[in-house]
Amino acid sequence: MPAEYALSNVWIGLGVVIVLFAIFYAVGYFSSRKTTSDEDFYAAGFSIGPVTNGLGMAATWASLATFLGVIALILRLQVPFVYLWIQWAISIPLLTLLYGTSLRRMKAFTPASFIRHRYGKPSTIVIVCWMILIMVMYALGQMVGLGQAFELLFGVPYNVAIIVAGLATVGFITIGGMYGATYNAAFQMVVMTIAMIVPMGAIMKAMGSSGWWFPPLAYGDMVPDMIKNIPTFFDMKYDFRWYFALIPAFTLGPVALPHLAMKVFTSSSVKSARWAVVWFAIFLGLLFSGTYVVGFAGNFFTATTGRIIEKADQTILILNVFYNPTLVAAFVMGGAIAAGLSTIGGNLMAIAGLVGSDLLGIIAPDMNSAKRMKWGYAALGLGGLAAVLMAFNPPRFLVTSILWAFGLLATTATPAILLGVWWKEANKLALIISSMVCGIIFIVISPHVLPSICIGSGLVAALGMSGGMVTIPLSFAMFIILSIVFNRMPALKAYAPTLADKKVIDRIHGWGTDYDESRYNGITWPLIISVICVAVFIWGLQPW
Amino acid sequence: MKEKLYKKEIRITLIFSVLLLLAGHSASIFVLFPSLQQGTLWGFPTQYIIPILLGWFGIAIICLVMTLVCNKFDDEMEEYVSTLSPENDTPNENTPK
Repeated sequence: MPAEYALSNVWIGLGVVIVLFAIFYAVGYFSSRKTTSDEDFYAAGFSIGPVTNGLGMAATWASLATFLGVIALILRLQVPFVYLWIQWAISIPLLTLLYGTSLRRMKAFTPASFIRHRYGKPSTIVIVCWMILIMVMYALGQMVGLGQAFELLFGVPYNVAIIVAGLATVGFITIGGMYGATYNAAFQMVVMTIAMIVPMGAIMKAMGSSGWWFPPLAYGDMVPDMIKNIPTFFDMKYDFRWYFALIPAFTLGPVALPHLAMKVFTSSSVKSARWAVVWFAIFLGLLFSGTYVVGFAGNFFTATTGRIIEKADQTILILNVFYNPTLVAAFVMGGAIAAGLSTIGGNLMAIAGLVGSDLLGIIAPDMNSAKRMKWGYAALGLGGLAAVLMAFNPPRFLVTSILWAFGLLATTATPAILLGVWWKEANKLALIISSMVCGIIFIVISPHVLPSICIGSGLVAALGMSGGMVTIPLSFAMFIILSIVFNRMPALKAYAPTLADKKVIDRIHGWGTDYDESRYNGITWPLIISVICVAVFIWGLQPW
Repeated sequence: MKEKLYKKEIRITLIFSVLLLLAGHSASIFVLFPSLQQGTLWGFPTQYIIPILLGWFGIAIICLVMTLVCNKFDDEMEEYVSTLSPENDTPNENTPK
């Protein structure tokens, strides 16, 4: 990268980061004093109000990629990647609508808590293993980005950056538990929104836009120059199947993300969880619109100045170093770091919940609350250390691995949760078979493991879109059809849903003691869904 | 009463799921109907700005209506449940531990 793009005064960057971390540690410390039980540790005592939770949800969802990777991909793919990013905003509303409030009603700590009550121990182990794998990949991506951000800010070697930044991060997250993760995430959302939006106003003014007063939506006067320099910028570029493929991989995947679901579960009530989603949509929309304008401005910058952004991941810093004072550029990087930290916080809390609550709940079901909390702390700290250690040899492309993992989650976990909540016939053995078979197929047909066996090619395969369009509908269809068959085979009676399993469904929907066998039952609609899934599966198999 | 509530729950869930999918994936509509890719709004091509607006304000409005409708539905459900006589089954407020 040309030298003029580096932060000119490292000490200013250091000052910003030290101030932010001091605040994070203070929040973590005060939060730790409120944590006295496993309910406090994993779910912030089910006490978080709507605005704080809305901010926390948005921060947890908006990762380091919002500042770095996504802007790089907007530079590369232009407008289609904006469309890809827009649909992330429906993940938490859909999650809340389809199962979040139901699981909040049963006071679940993670989605796997529900799996344990609905399907039993073997199924829980399968789902927890998939979720932990995906959470580790997710946390790893954030940790790598964090190390790169520190490397960029202070000019220290990557390995040193990852040790310092990683350990400092794991420290305050471990101290604070879910209270700390939530309050810090809410604060981090405010920091990252200001860091994304406000400096862009100055950049747009310098670029000659009259819309500098509201960067997210007022850069329309830059469009003619953009079209003049990059005529294809607003082209939709891909066919309908490309856009449709966003639904299975990138809409249904995040619906099952445990760290997002856990935010819904921390709400003070079911109704509060829904209000939190309204705030989430407002806050996240503001931040994401800021991301789009940075991507737009990055393209505009290269097109109108003739300069080349060699490291597209650093577009936001490059624009700020070029147009704004050093202090502002340092604050923007602080915002990026806050984005990474909020997501790592969520990821590590999810790993802690999956290991310390769900797996341990199977191994030692009678353990008391205080002990479970201690194990949670241990799982949180060790999960963080594992992410730091793995970050020394990171995957090549920061964003791709995370996005690809969404397809894996949609294949392995989403059908288990959604069908488990909405369909009494969902069978334990069918879940294990469909989740494992389709999950392994998704891995095999991706270009990351066996490039010679791959559905699709290029970015669409690397992101898991083409693979997901095959394995996600296959997983739903296989789960439904096997459930119907297995439930009718006397030899497999042990795997059929029991009356207690079915009662769980009625209760989490709010029916209390009123049980009705015909509710959430029947096979007509599941079979119709299977037929649709098979059609999508065949469509996904066609050459990309 | 309970049959009506059950149908209402399914209807609410389906309607808001579809609305959220439409708001989040509105770009697909412009691909499906290329003739819509014309004109500008606030200086932007419509196929660019409308998905962004729907992905922000559209989703926020849908979430607001969803919250009002679902919370009202919860009140109706609680009212129905409160009319039931207690059975052997206990409510599930502290099941998953």
